[in-house]
Amino acid sequence: MIQLFHVYKAFGSNNPALIDVSLTVRKGEFVFITGPSGAGKTTLLKIIFCAERATSGQALVNGRNLNRIQDRELAYLRREIGVVFQDFKLLPRRNVFENVALALEITGFPLSVIRKRVHQTLRYLGLANKEGYYPPQLSGGEQQRVALARAIINNPLILLADEPTGNLDPDLTMEIMALLREIHTRGTMVIVATHSQELLRDTRRRIVTLNKGRIV
Amino acid sequence: MKITFLPYFIRQAMANIFNNRLVHLIGVGTMAIAFLIFDAFILIFLNLNYWSEERGKLLTMSVYFREEPERIVLEDIEKELLYFPGVTIKGFISKDDAMESLRRQLGNKAGLLDGLRENPLPASLEIILSRDKGGNSLPYQLKTRLEGIDIVDEVQYSEEWIERFQAIMEAVKIIGMVLGGLLFLAALFIITNTIKLTIYSRRDEIEILKLVGATNRFVKIPFLIEGSIQGFLGGSVALVILFLIYMIFITRVDLIIGFASLDIIFLPAQFIYFLLLMSIIVGFVGSTISLGRFFRV
Repeated sequence: MIQLFHVYKAFGSNNPALIDVSLTVRKGEFVFITGPSGAGKTTLLKIIFCAERATSGQALVNGRNLNRIQDRELAYLRREIGVVFQDFKLLPRRNVFENVALALEITGFPLSVIRKRVHQTLRYLGLANKEGYYPPQLSGGEQQRVALARAIINNPLILLADEPTGNLDPDLTMEIMALLREIHTRGTMVIVATHSQELLRDTRRRIVTLNKGRIV
Repeated sequence: MKITFLPYFIRQAMANIFNNRLVHLIGVGTMAIAFLIFDAFILIFLNLNYWSEERGKLLTMSVYFREEPERIVLEDIEKELLYFPGVTIKGFISKDDAMESLRRQLGNKAGLLDGLRENPLPASLEIILSRDKGGNSLPYQLKTRLEGIDIVDEVQYSEEWIERFQAIMEAVKIIGMVLGGLLFLAALFIITNTIKLTIYSRRDEIEILKLVGATNRFVKIPFLIEGSIQGFLGGSVALVILFLIYMIFITRVDLIIGFASLDIIFLPAQFIYFLLLMSIIVGFVGSTISLGRFFRV
């Protein structure tokens, strides 16, 4: 579960990125966070996986207070959160297999288990024949799926996706959204940050709208 | 550290070295230069110390004769000298032997001696005095006794020179320790910055590893292994270069300073092990210092 209480985030003397944000997302929920560019969507996700710390207010994720979390505990918390970054954050010098395996290697799984699970996940995301490719050799959609594979391979409790369809054509957008819905059906909490109104049309999911750092 | 991580760390460190070979090569080269300066300093210091100790233990005394002494006179002198404890007769050097020895020492410059009409070198008796047995006053007693003999022209011994040399060595030791320490710090500074360069080129990787849930230790260990390997390679290259310089120096030393008799030693095995171990430690410590600032994600 994610609980944010009056979270405020400022970067230096610029306008605050988040102002008095209070939000609760329950286990297994699917939530869209939307709003125009610069509304604070990415900052909100960063607060949740602790890439940024709140300037004031409290943030709790799976019962851990992010204001007081120690380095080691933070690493373990991040293993419970899969993140699909807007810019994918793939390592260009490691191939698809190695990029995805990374999330398992850090937990100390034996190589045989890592191999098996990476193969399964890549097959599931339609990347079975791309294992040996390096990120620069892949299309945007393929890179997005590799990032998704890395995010879900650990069976995280929470999946955060920052503009997961930002650079994709409509077909690929539908494909990625279908994958996210499927991951959600396994019981994973999914939070998708997007500025695309297309994605939100006809959805019955919960939508949280941000504008200039505030929930509206 | 879980034991299952070890193969990963080693594999990762090796892969990183291979993938970033240019940056690593620059790092190893820079380290090699830093270590070479330090190693060369140790080698020079060691040789100065070796000479002072070797020459300090035994004292040589040369008894120069006005003319070539007769056999029987020489035997009498030798017999008398042997009454003193700690005296060993090294040998008698006739005028001809002295000339021959000088010719050998001059090597290809020996032609200079051809112009002499007569041999100006005196015959001499070489004596070795052991400090341990004879005590400190022995050289003076002998010198006084020998200079009383008609045929003896002059008695020379190396004590004064050694005393001065040892005083200098004491000063050199202190200066050496300070200078060695400073050189070590300079090497560490250079190496830390070199490793920082390696790590800086991979800050994205560190960030991503941390964001997917790697512990600090997990991210750091491959870098520490890399730093240690880099240190070991830098240290080895420095020692190889130093050895080559040493080999060139000792084979050409007669050409450089005119005498072939200078005894120069290379670093003994335990020093080599020590310097290699130190280079690994410097690589490790340098990596640890450099990594600090990259862990604020």
